[in-house]
Amino acid sequence: MNIKRQYSLPNCNLVLEGLEDSDPQNVAILDGKPPMSILINAECHLLKSDRKLSGGSVFLTNLARAVSNYAQEFLSGLPQSDSNSNEYPQVFLAPVAEKNLHRLTLEPNPESGEAKTEVDLSTVELFDLVDALDRFYLDRSTLPQVTLDIKPVSRRYRQPEQPLTERLTPVAIGFTSLAIAAGALFMIPPPEVAPPESPPIAPATETETETETETIPPEEPEAEEAN
Amino acid sequence: MSQSASLESDFPSSVDSPASILNTLPDISLPAKGCSPHTQQQIDLLLLALEALELGASEHMLAMARQLGVDTIIKNRVGLWRLRCSNPWRRSYTRDYLSLNQAKALVIIAAYRAKSLMVIIRQLLLAEQQMREKNLPLDNHFRLSEYLERFRAHFRSRMNSRRAKVSAYIASEEELNELALSLLSKLLFCTGARGMQRVWFSLFDGEVA
Repeated sequence: MNIKRQYSLPNCNLVLEGLEDSDPQNVAILDGKPPMSILINAECHLLKSDRKLSGGSVFLTNLARAVSNYAQEFLSGLPQSDSNSNEYPQVFLAPVAEKNLHRLTLEPNPESGEAKTEVDLSTVELFDLVDALDRFYLDRSTLPQVTLDIKPVSRRYRQPEQPLTERLTPVAIGFTSLAIAAGALFMIPPPEVAPPESPPIAPATETETETETETIPPEEPEAEEAN
Repeated sequence: MSQSASLESDFPSSVDSPASILNTLPDISLPAKGCSPHTQQQIDLLLLALEALELGASEHMLAMARQLGVDTIIKNRVGLWRLRCSNPWRRSYTRDYLSLNQAKALVIIAAYRAKSLMVIIRQLLLAEQQMREKNLPLDNHFRLSEYLERFRAHFRSRMNSRRAKVSAYIASEEELNELALSLLSKLLFCTGARGMQRVWFSLFDGEVA
């Protein structure tokens, strides 16, 4: 039997249609609520711009991954490792320069001949989209087999506080000034080395060493005897 | 309004042990000394944005700590202040490192406070968007200008202007406004169903092995 799950937020409606799983074991886990196990259609309605994006499970997975990665990138400023699948329709999110907006692009299969869809989202709309998808992933009664992992980016991807060019500038300046100094000094002719004039050969004289007379220290006056 | 009312039910009415609420955030493998200064700075700035949003925010934070059962970690005002002084930008930087549980407790408090202030956070961000669309200065919106002004005042009075980054922020009102608005967006994300985890992970982006 077809069932429908809807996740509504002020700017975004996520509607999932699918087939319910009537296996009594799975139903029992969820207190009698049959889980949706097969997705037929996913529809994301962005209310402010009145645009509808819809597709199957590939669309939903790609949308969720792109939105989740972009949200983490938005929060920390570090690009997430891109693990976009090659399947169509592909979903991309990118900031719109100097407008404080986020552009969501849905690219259908080029062979289908459909035009790609672009929607500009404000931060609040982006949050609503992220939250609608998060609510779906937290809902154990809708497609419990799919999960979305979030994990922090590794240290390797951290961007240095100063860009590489800025850090290399002092080194480059150092080397350049050394090269200029070396070039300038190269121009200066080396001082001519005048061979030392051979000094006149002094006659070998023997210096008589004076015999030092040992000075005898004066004898200390004997201490007066104490009376 | 119905949304804010429904969110009230998200608050745990009674918490069995302090650890149970801390377990809502996953553990992150950190070096032995604790969190990185960058993480500590981000946490303190989030709390600073909350202070700019409402008067008496630190009292609300302490009340929330008691309600959530993390008052063993954050015992009183001084305890909270000491934890926040792990932010290297602060004048009274203590050079301490936050332990994982201390960081978790602060983030959980920030997230729960943000949930109760969700309506005003959304209104302010919508106002920002409208002002930008109309090419009007942000200060033209009364409530938004109040938030930005309070944030700037808090930032100037508490951060160490001898640090290069801080002095750059203090010198430019525009950059401080941008910082205040980016923190407001982070607080909005805290209010989501998995928002607390998202913000928690984002604090460690580029910090883990």
